[in-house]
Amino acid sequence: MTRPGFFQPNGRQLSSAGILLLMAPFFMLIGFAFLYPLLSLLSLSVTEPEPGLSNYVRILDNPLYFKVLLRTLWIAVLVSVLALLMAFPVAMAMVSSSGPMAVFITAFVLLPFWSSVLVRTAAWAVLLQRNGIVNDLLQVVGITSEPIRLLYTQGAVVVAMTHVLLPFMVLPIYGALRNIPSDYDRAAAICGAGPLRRFAEVTVPLALPGVLGGVILVFLTALGYFITPALLGSPKEMMIATLISQQLREFLDWPFAAALVGVLTLFVTAITLVFSKVFRFDRMLGGQL
Amino acid sequence: MKQTRKLTGIALALTVATVGQAVRADEIVIATTGGLMRNMMEEYFYLPFAEASGTEVIPFDIEVPDQWARAEGMARTGDVEFDIVTATGPDLVGKAEILETIPCDDLANVKEYALPGACQPKGIARTTGGMVMTYNTDTFAGNEPRTWADFWDTEKFPGPRGLPDTGDRDWWLPTVALLADGVAKEDLYPLDLDRAYAKLDEIKPHIAVWWKTGNQVQQIMRDNEVAITMSYSGRALKVIQDGSPFAMAWDGAIRDTGYLAVLKNSPNTEGAMKFIDFFYGSAEGHPGFIQAVGYATSSTIGLSQLPEEEQKLYATYPANYELLVDPDFEWIGAHRDELRERWTNWLLQ
Repeated sequence: MTRPGFFQPNGRQLSSAGILLLMAPFFMLIGFAFLYPLLSLLSLSVTEPEPGLSNYVRILDNPLYFKVLLRTLWIAVLVSVLALLMAFPVAMAMVSSSGPMAVFITAFVLLPFWSSVLVRTAAWAVLLQRNGIVNDLLQVVGITSEPIRLLYTQGAVVVAMTHVLLPFMVLPIYGALRNIPSDYDRAAAICGAGPLRRFAEVTVPLALPGVLGGVILVFLTALGYFITPALLGSPKEMMIATLISQQLREFLDWPFAAALVGVLTLFVTAITLVFSKVFRFDRMLGGQL
Repeated sequence: MKQTRKLTGIALALTVATVGQAVRADEIVIATTGGLMRNMMEEYFYLPFAEASGTEVIPFDIEVPDQWARAEGMARTGDVEFDIVTATGPDLVGKAEILETIPCDDLANVKEYALPGACQPKGIARTTGGMVMTYNTDTFAGNEPRTWADFWDTEKFPGPRGLPDTGDRDWWLPTVALLADGVAKEDLYPLDLDRAYAKLDEIKPHIAVWWKTGNQVQQIMRDNEVAITMSYSGRALKVIQDGSPFAMAWDGAIRDTGYLAVLKNSPNTEGAMKFIDFFYGSAEGHPGFIQAVGYATSSTIGLSQLPEEEQKLYATYPANYELLVDPDFEWIGAHRDELRERWTNWLLQ
């Protein structure tokens, strides 16, 4: 399957030097605004207060920090799974519908992007509060007899994070599904496969690159998530980003915070490498055949 | 932006002054957190002071940790730009070496009007509030909690509870836990941390909200997210005045005073002391200022001008003031790291 590439206006191909030149601003931005600060922070973690790994030893010494890290991983997994379960049907509906219905669904998926994460998180706080809609509803229906604690719990954090990150799961899956030629499905049907088998043996394998792309986007974003856990969680459900911020802003312990950043970076890098080894990255993000 | 320019101007003027030994700065720079406190200080004290003395006050908005970072830098380089800074109780101990001693006995108005304990060697009280137990008067109608022991008594006083996870909770909460456990106010310090945390373990499952900011504690009161909580008294005051059914129980509230302190070698130390004296002696400024910021000043000609009923909502009202816990900042300052670590580890468990 050949298609006109991005760098081929009127059939002329850009030289590789030209391509590099066009990409230079991007790499410069990444270098100045991301790599340089990150590396200088990480170097702080092994040079202060004295050269060596003392800050990392401190993380290992106290089981609490490890607990926070494990909890962060657990919440990120939970959010990814929930988002996947909710996103797949939505993406299927987006692909199979047309006209006003398609516009309607797409608008609903993209709508959250038009408001800030802060607003969406605050909205959850309003819904989940003690005399909020959810608690009122539970009592009217008769499930609970008095308001229960919904806000400032791990459940609140997971639900709100799933909501906030959902579009990042829907869009890659939608991209992958849209690229599956409808002929395949029809061919499988002609060969006698029922709807379930067609879904399991045609749609899912072909959508896998999009699914993996969505999972990795949501999972990695969830690992470093800050605002939602800070506003809807309690200190008992502290995640690593909140811990880092506390060390920076309250205790002014930059080297130790830098070591925590180092550990988080290590985890993110390792997970990304494993993913790209097991599933080929180029297929994953493009979602093309 | 304007302030930075002015500040540079002062620095320049100062250089000229030091070189020429002739020009006297007729300005003082006061570093405070911005917002309401800065605006009200300006309206009720800075501008009247400028009118009365001819010394202009230049407010500089800065958060307290940032202010200390800069003040310490200034002390190192010898190029001091702030005259007056904002300090907490522990700061008066921890930052003592870069702070000028306040001549409490030489400032006429301070000597005349300051409440006992308001003028410390390294700082003088600006506003006083308390970390006070605040409860819903509807929930506890006819059965009102009075002390921290009542806060811990979840059978007699059932309902969701709130405690702070911000500011100085690393010694606030062990302190009230010991009060709840029956320790007398005078015997609190040095804190018996093992006993305090054993008591805190008891209440932990009943805490619905660990609040993070002053706005949040007001919000959880208004939304009935908690029936009883520790609160900044000034925040509770606003909630009560806005008509929410809450009241404060002052017994065992922790005195929380914001201080004015003067930096050593500041450009206009004399002007700074004059301002402090003016602040304590200005009868006209206090009532409006106290009502606007929700915290009482420590000048005896301040709070007493408000209606008696309203005075009761403030920490420096005599009947409240004598119930307050007076923290031992010497001890707290010396054990800061230990207190923090213990708190962080306990809360994360």
